[in-house]
Amino acid sequence: MTVRFAGLTALDAVSFTVEPGTVHAVIGPNGAGKSTCFNVLSGVYRATTGSVRFGTAELTSLRPHEVAALGVARTFQNIALSPRLPVRDNLLLGRHRLTRAGFVASGLRLPGARREERAHLARVAEIAEFVGLGAHLASPVGLLPYGVQKRVELARALAMEPKLLLLDEPVAGMNSGERVEMAELIVSVKRSLGISILLVEHDMGMVMRLADRVTVLDFGKRIADGPPDEVRADPKVIGAYLGES
Amino acid sequence: MSRLITWAAVLVAFVAVPFYLEGFWLQTGLFAMSAAVGAIGINLLTGATGQLSMGHAFFLAVGAYAYVSFSDDLGLPTPIAAVLAVLLAGVAGGLFSPIAGRLRGAYLGIATLALIFGGQHLLFNVEHVTGGFNGRAVPPLEIFGFAFADAPELILMNVPFGALERLWFLGGALLLLAALFARGVLRGRPGRAMNTIRDHEIAAGVMGVPVTRYRAGAFVLSSMYGGLAGVMLALVFQRTVPDYFGILLSLDYLAMIVIGGLGSVGGAVIGAVFVSLLPQLLTRYSDALPLVSAPGSGGVSPAEAARLLYGAAVVGVVLFLPGGLLGLLRSLRLRLPSLPTPLPDTRSSHVS
Amino acid sequence: MITFIELLVNGISIGAVYALIALGFVIIFKATEVVNFAHASLLLAGGYVVARLHPYVGFWLALLIGIAAAAVVGALVEFLVIRRSKAANHSVLAIVTIGVDIVLTTELTRRIGTEVLAMGDPWESGVVHLGPITIAQTRIAALVVAALLITAFLLAFKFTGWGVAMRATAEDPETAALMGVRLGRVSLSAWAVAGGLAAVAALFLCVFPTPGLDRSSSLAALKAFPAAILGGLDSTTGALVGGLVVGVTEALMTGYQNDLAFLGRGIGDVAPFLVMIVILLLRPAGLFGTKELARV
Repeated sequence: MTVRFAGLTALDAVSFTVEPGTVHAVIGPNGAGKSTCFNVLSGVYRATTGSVRFGTAELTSLRPHEVAALGVARTFQNIALSPRLPVRDNLLLGRHRLTRAGFVASGLRLPGARREERAHLARVAEIAEFVGLGAHLASPVGLLPYGVQKRVELARALAMEPKLLLLDEPVAGMNSGERVEMAELIVSVKRSLGISILLVEHDMGMVMRLADRVTVLDFGKRIADGPPDEVRADPKVIGAYLGES
Repeated sequence: MSRLITWAAVLVAFVAVPFYLEGFWLQTGLFAMSAAVGAIGINLLTGATGQLSMGHAFFLAVGAYAYVSFSDDLGLPTPIAAVLAVLLAGVAGGLFSPIAGRLRGAYLGIATLALIFGGQHLLFNVEHVTGGFNGRAVPPLEIFGFAFADAPELILMNVPFGALERLWFLGGALLLLAALFARGVLRGRPGRAMNTIRDHEIAAGVMGVPVTRYRAGAFVLSSMYGGLAGVMLALVFQRTVPDYFGILLSLDYLAMIVIGGLGSVGGAVIGAVFVSLLPQLLTRYSDALPLVSAPGSGGVSPAEAARLLYGAAVVGVVLFLPGGLLGLLRSLRLRLPSLPTPLPDTRSSHVS
Repeated sequence: MITFIELLVNGISIGAVYALIALGFVIIFKATEVVNFAHASLLLAGGYVVARLHPYVGFWLALLIGIAAAAVVGALVEFLVIRRSKAANHSVLAIVTIGVDIVLTTELTRRIGTEVLAMGDPWESGVVHLGPITIAQTRIAALVVAALLITAFLLAFKFTGWGVAMRATAEDPETAALMGVRLGRVSLSAWAVAGGLAAVAALFLCVFPTPGLDRSSSLAALKAFPAAILGGLDSTTGALVGGLVVGVTEALMTGYQNDLAFLGRGIGDVAPFLVMIVILLLRPAGLFGTKELARV
């Protein structure tokens, strides 16, 4: 796929494939086009040329909520939660595509809407427990520490019951203890929930530990693609990171 | 338990009002109830969804005039005319939804100015429906033979029950229903989607919320609340006049929700009561107040004093009281340990 | 044909005045991301000062003081209110300006009362004949002054340090601050400049053929809102084009309202808003506005 903004080519004919049930990392120096790539995958930006396919579905021209409806979830590099709502409501938002209650049903508190709310609340509590947020369900997100908010981000994406999870720098800004915890969490998401994960991350140690396959971007171009060990040894990758050419 | 007692006390006080207070206060109270319904509507849009609207007065006008026209011109029974008037306000909101869905925040605010100016133009020019400059008389509501009017005479416990006394209970019931419905919406799935659109539009989309559709939906819902407020206002005022539904009314509504508290039902109600009562109180007690003088005497008239005060209140609340009066009440309650303190719930609250 | 040309010239002239207002509105938006609903009251403040002072100090000095006064009011709003508001939500910031507007407009209309205040301008009701075409001197003055001010502004925006700071801030406030741009000063000056431009506009909105400044003058100023948004809120070019579109539409619709009787009386006042709706339906970001690219 290729993405251009007003003459600036942010992504230039980049392509890669995420195998089901794996962790696939996209890495690269700042400005390499990683976030742009994520925004195209989740429907926030539209690719100028090329296509994005998810299984048999064509995502290229879909809008964000249509991409979400197919089972693609994402987290944001900068926290994008509703700070004044409790964790519970932020996670319930993840259930949006799985629930039906509209204005009338919610306004009149019809039995169907209340039953639906109860059922999904129970599932949200499970997910919160899994992510280690069980104690925070009723706290407004804005009052929680940064590391915990990052986990709420992940939990909200998991609440969508996705088939593919896009994680945009899940450990950015965390201390080393929090990083280890988050890495363990990602591993257990892959193992116990069987979700495919596409990961953008700066922390190379974490990428090499977690990823089954790595794609390296630099200046909007793909410069390497392969298993972590192979990529690590690639002279082009080393050059890109050390600023040589 | 204590909550039950509070509610019982509120109910008793509400029922007692028409037996003890004179018509002036009943009318003021009814204006406040109508304003509260309208304010809940715009709080669903502006407070909960983050979409600014300067066009709320237009939807009040649609409700008020549609009620008159449906009942007088088409000869429909008045309750049906009232329901249809609310629906028509919703349809009018829906017709604006190509814009209401696609423009965000303050952009929509500017675009909705068109509703005010277009609306005023229609009110003055489509005379056979609106009565033009003079407006129209409003037929009283009549449900199953019970008229919300002064005649036929009705006396309860030595108190003559005229139009205002009867409307008092109707207004209270409508406000309660409107508040409960809005609370359900805010606490349920649509409310979460609306709040997320306000807080982070892109996240809302990525989480599966069709942003355009929800913005349009919130706009339609808020128009219907505006329509209901318009019908109530028409019934209380007994006449519709075009000048009333101008830009100042729309600004009043925005002032109400900011002063009361953005995004919640309780905030809308408190703000509506504050903004509706203030000019009336100042008028009533203008003799006793410094700086305020009788209208026409060259000094600051009560109506002007009220506008100055709540304009300043809007600025003051945004600067110093981000939660509005409702937030202030909550934090006061938190300081009093003897009272039960419900969990802070920022989206919606009980009707007070 | 002669009527048409006269209407067109009048429309362009009044459009240039709207463009002045819209330009101020757009500068404030670019510098502080605030949609300023108090803009009409800045205008009213400037006009009021001119109208009250000219009998004592003469027209030109009164005009200068009026411009300065509106600039000061704008700067005060920024300094006392906008800067101190911690509201992150832009709708809430817009509502604060509504509060400011309520206070200023109420006080000013109270002072004006039922009077119609003359502006004391030297052009009065004089006209200029160009062959068969008759144009009011005030319209020509408005056109010339607006054109000069707009040119001066655009040159300053392009070439002066202030203009560069302003554009850098609009592009990316954080980076601009890191590069040494003082954000406070930029936004303060934006509000002051916008106030001054509004005061000039107030003058030309209230001179012949308008009888003078009265309590409804701020409503006339509201027509600059559609001008700003139909051009695109973040585009100075848009403000100019928007102003002209609104002015010409209004003048033509008013001029031919007898032929448009089926649309009702006073269609000229509504027309700018209708044009705005049509354009927003086709282009939600306005004619020249940039479709905002989200950064996440």
